[in-house]
Amino acid sequence: MRRSISYLMALFLSSVLTIAAYAQNNVVNGSIQNAITGEKVAAVSVTVKGADQGTFSDDKGNFRLSTSQKYPVTLIVSSIGFEQQEVSVSTAGQVVAVSLKPANALGQEVVVSATKVATKILESPVSIERVSTAQIRNAPAATYYDMLRGLKGVDFTTSSLTFQTPTTRGFNGSGALRVNQIVDGMDNQAPGLNFSVGSIVGLSELDVDNMELLPGASSALYGPGGMNGTILINSKNPFKHQGLSFQVKAGMMNADSRYREKSAYHNWSVRWAKKVNDKLAFKINTEIIAAKDWLGYDDRNYLRAGTTGQIIPGNRATDPNYDGVNVYGDETTTDIRSAVFPGLANAAPFLRNFLDTLNGGRAMNVSRTGYREDQVVNPNTYNYKISGAVHYKINERIEAVFAGFWGTGNTVYTGSERYSLRGLKMGQYKLELNHKNWMVRAYTTQENAGESYNATVTTRLLNEAWKPSGGSTGWFAQYTQAYVNARLNGSPDAAAHTLARSVADVGRPVAGSADFRRIFDRVRSVPISQGGGLFVDKTDLYAVEGQYNLTHLTGGFAEILVGANFRRFVLNSEGTLFADSAGAIGINEYGGYVQASRKFFGDILKFTVSGRYDKNQNFKGRFTPRATALIKVKENNNIRLSFQTAYRFPSTQQQWIDLGIGSNTRLLGGVEFFNQKYQLSTRPTYLLSGLPGNTRQFQFPEFKPESVSTFELGYKGLLFGDKLLIDAYGYFGQYQDFITRTLVIQPFSGNVADVTNALANNINVSNVGNIYSVPFNSPSKVKTFGFGIGLDYRLPRNFVAGFNLSSDELRDVPPGFISFFSTPQYRTNFSISNTAFGYKKRMGFTVNWRWQDSFFYESDFTNAVVPAIHTVDAQISYRIPATRSMLKLGANNLLNQYYTNGAGNAIIGGLYYVSFAYNVF
Amino acid sequence: MNRTTSMKTWTMALATAVIGFSACNKAPEPATPLAPEVPATSTTLAQLLDSPDSSFTFLRAAVVRAGLLATLQNTGVRLTVFAPDNDAFIASGIPNRTVINSLPVATVNALVNYHVIPQIIRSTSIPTTFPNFQYPVNINPNPAASPFLRLTSYPSRRSNGAWVNNIPITATDIPAANGIVHKVSRLLSPPSAFLWNQITTDPRLVLLRAAIDRADQDPTAPGFLANVLGNNPNVAIGANFTVFAPDTTAFKNTLSFLSAGALNPTMPNAVFAGFIGTLPITTVKGIVVYHVLGARAFSNNLPPTATNVRTLLNSSIASHPGVGVQATLVNVPGFGLAAATATVKGAANPTAANVTTPDLHFINGTMHIINQVLLPQ
Repeated sequence: MRRSISYLMALFLSSVLTIAAYAQNNVVNGSIQNAITGEKVAAVSVTVKGADQGTFSDDKGNFRLSTSQKYPVTLIVSSIGFEQQEVSVSTAGQVVAVSLKPANALGQEVVVSATKVATKILESPVSIERVSTAQIRNAPAATYYDMLRGLKGVDFTTSSLTFQTPTTRGFNGSGALRVNQIVDGMDNQAPGLNFSVGSIVGLSELDVDNMELLPGASSALYGPGGMNGTILINSKNPFKHQGLSFQVKAGMMNADSRYREKSAYHNWSVRWAKKVNDKLAFKINTEIIAAKDWLGYDDRNYLRAGTTGQIIPGNRATDPNYDGVNVYGDETTTDIRSAVFPGLANAAPFLRNFLDTLNGGRAMNVSRTGYREDQVVNPNTYNYKISGAVHYKINERIEAVFAGFWGTGNTVYTGSERYSLRGLKMGQYKLELNHKNWMVRAYTTQENAGESYNATVTTRLLNEAWKPSGGSTGWFAQYTQAYVNARLNGSPDAAAHTLARSVADVGRPVAGSADFRRIFDRVRSVPISQGGGLFVDKTDLYAVEGQYNLTHLTGGFAEILVGANFRRFVLNSEGTLFADSAGAIGINEYGGYVQASRKFFGDILKFTVSGRYDKNQNFKGRFTPRATALIKVKENNNIRLSFQTAYRFPSTQQQWIDLGIGSNTRLLGGVEFFNQKYQLSTRPTYLLSGLPGNTRQFQFPEFKPESVSTFELGYKGLLFGDKLLIDAYGYFGQYQDFITRTLVIQPFSGNVADVTNALANNINVSNVGNIYSVPFNSPSKVKTFGFGIGLDYRLPRNFVAGFNLSSDELRDVPPGFISFFSTPQYRTNFSISNTAFGYKKRMGFTVNWRWQDSFFYESDFTNAVVPAIHTVDAQISYRIPATRSMLKLGANNLLNQYYTNGAGNAIIGGLYYVSFAYNVF
Repeated sequence: MNRTTSMKTWTMALATAVIGFSACNKAPEPATPLAPEVPATSTTLAQLLDSPDSSFTFLRAAVVRAGLLATLQNTGVRLTVFAPDNDAFIASGIPNRTVINSLPVATVNALVNYHVIPQIIRSTSIPTTFPNFQYPVNINPNPAASPFLRLTSYPSRRSNGAWVNNIPITATDIPAANGIVHKVSRLLSPPSAFLWNQITTDPRLVLLRAAIDRADQDPTAPGFLANVLGNNPNVAIGANFTVFAPDTTAFKNTLSFLSAGALNPTMPNAVFAGFIGTLPITTVKGIVVYHVLGARAFSNNLPPTATNVRTLLNSSIASHPGVGVQATLVNVPGFGLAAATATVKGAANPTAANVTTPDLHFINGTMHIINQVLLPQ
């Protein structure tokens, strides 16, 4: 059931519960239409005043309601976007015709997630944003998930057409870990890969009832995570939204063929919901998206140092050690001077001096020849979703829901490398009981990485499979011989490198050739643990949670809400990703919360406190408090104050990853197990960043959850005759125990001098020791500040203008500290829209311009400046009331101005589409 | 203006503004190529030979005769040319261009190529360490054996001068688009023989030969010394030695002393050779290798004050002090800095031996004939 309404109903019904009766049932039939356009209106709530019966109009605007009330019966007819009406029915058999007047009022939405109790959005005690079905219908966005981008304070990192990661208040990144995404009450995070998959395995567009976004810290009600926001996406209840609807979108991408040939975009979805009787309803949804994906096409030269680095000048033709950002396989690099020259000098001692002085005696790093992303990542992105739900009203107060969501697709994710998620599958299944006062839910998330592979590792292995790098006849030996030979014949350095590469690359498989595909497919299908590029991940999550609203017992004193949850992760990567070669690893987590709120001074002040305790078996328990106050300045004008905390247990990868990423470098989790396994505290091990100065033995640190505390002051209100809705906030946050990574090195010889010598001589340190990337909690506290302001102005003739501006800033960053803040300081949205104009007011349009400032993007994959971004999205639509259908012509990035919002991620161009949607009103 | 019109106008204005703003996204720029190295001058090595003062006309004639003009014109190469001017040719015994043009092309080709190192070596990068750097020149003496095989030349530098082999460099760092030129005061001659050829043909070295033969009777390494010295060119070609070669008189004196009166220096060579054949192999071998340095030192490379350097003996007796070497350099007009005297002293010799014939140059090393046998202990 659409939750906001269900809670509203529950509240409403709770006040009249006492009037239960064994009276005779009367049946009321009726239909509802739009008073202006005459169109039938579906999904309108019809309830009997003074009783607990209620229903919704079906997709043809008709309703049928049986009541135990005696005539005359008063019906309350209400729907978002219309003025509420009371209709009196005096005699049996009267067919009620209701004409609802559209109420183009601002700020009337009801939100649930701010307090877990239905609240008018104007009275939310914390910042909240909401997207409704009606907004989705009228949006230019090609998918509903894209709409989050227009909300104030929201940034997106786009790794693929179908892999988008929203974040608020900083710390952007592909698959950002600090944002919770909850779809129909279930945590949408892929339990093994750690990113949320709302855009892949979430709801299909026609089934989305609403999205709510809580920016900033929000752990107190939603559990660990949510340091940078919580996104809740709720589906449509089949009792309320009935009938068959479908939508076909056909579009075009890469219109100018700049990075990839012009290609088609398809997005088809179907929803069928049926109310079988007053007790039983079900729905089935499916959606398919297919397109040629956006590409990572940044070929700038990247000077990589472990998991950091910088853009430097040079390209493949001019830098022998070129390592393109989105070029893979060229990460394999060797200093031929130290690796190959000595052998040559032993064989030809008369060349020793010559070799020693080539390149002025400096290191001569050479990288293997790479392949571009479009050559190694499947160009076809697709996303197939199917879901279904059965709702059964056990009695008038308890509704049981059994729902399943399953999705699969090809997409690209950016972690420490680019990952081609190929045939990724994830299913979520839940059983839920909803009562007006309580809720119990059990669900599981079943993940399967399918044939996903790491593009970088796989391409490096492809190179090795074709011609090994090392050995006396290996690629580097061939290269070096050709290079030296060219130098001996008088070639200058650059020409000798070019010649050497052409010699060593003779017979290199041409991208796309049968030979290439044969080798590549072989390498990518071998698990990482056996020397291939495939990562196996069949990690699952099992969760149970419940909530009880005690208000009916304690209402005289305060509204009190309690809840608890238990989660169990079962990590299963068959040794390819986690340290689980000996068998699946379980992680248990549990927590509970209580929230109390009370009004003071009449309605003037509403004070709410909540607290939450969570425990993860690998970490100490943690208490998270939250306090909010809402001050009503006058009707529809509220000031909000909040103190919120959030914290996050390290992700499953941060706990248990055990992944070699080449060049003697390995990513480790932070649990004590790894300290033992790799003898990090007992064998000579040194902090790489400390060398050459600090030669103290590395001590494996205690690994703790990270946390943030935020103070926020906000105001939301209607001004100028309710025509202007203002929402403004300012916040201050402090992060501590930040989870980050550091590199440590274990010299092969146990002698730290080997490392310091290598550093001094510009030799790759991975040649003299094993490097481990170890997660740890930064001792530094960093502060964030920010503000946001949103204005929505209702203009005459249904025009609405919207503007928002938000800012986030990081302060007190110690020198050399990599925060991964990766967030523009300013961003704004400016939009103008109309949902009813033109011929019989059947037309609608929206134009949205978004701008974000330039910022420095930090990630394990690439660190670089992301230039400012302007995008214009627009749509124009036409409604066909007879079939409740809509035709839409839309454009995302209308001007086809290519941009990337995260360095090394996909470059996004224009997407143009036409859509036809049937039965969507 | 009615409301709708104003709205339309406003929307249009907004759309225009939006489009104006929007036209400036920056997708990542393509990778920027590194700027190619730009030579300071556009004059090629070949053009330098046409210098206005005509001082390189002999060299130019040799380059043309050798068929190497195209190489020196090629801007796609980087070469160091040790360039003898006309005076250097004359001083080296080539009085005019007619002589050059009468020499076989192969000879001139080898001669010119021996002056060319395929890499830019600025005078400041010529090392000052003992003895010199070994750089490959443009001559592969046996391409069939290995494409990497090269004859080598030996630039060196000290505080008072610079040389290639034992030939002084008289002017440095003349830049060209495709290389650099250092002027030299004499022609360099490419070595064509091995040390072993000298040892087996020079009458002054018959007793040295006898000593090497005795040392090579070592059953663990029969014939080894002769082979690396050049008896087996395939083994010797990559070797690089300095041989201090005691002449027969030196051997006779030393052996007479060692024989405690049984021999005297007036006896014929054969007697001494026979005597050497009776000495313990290890002793003889130790003495022979004590005369050999593992690097090539020309007389001008020897330090101005006596300095101990390691010999091949150090490969079996690592802590041995080696031999003390020293040279006194004087400026020879028309030539440049050259060693007026050069000495080498064995650890057990009461006095240093004088170099009587310096700087005999071979494919696998250089030889200085000396007037004492060096005694390691």
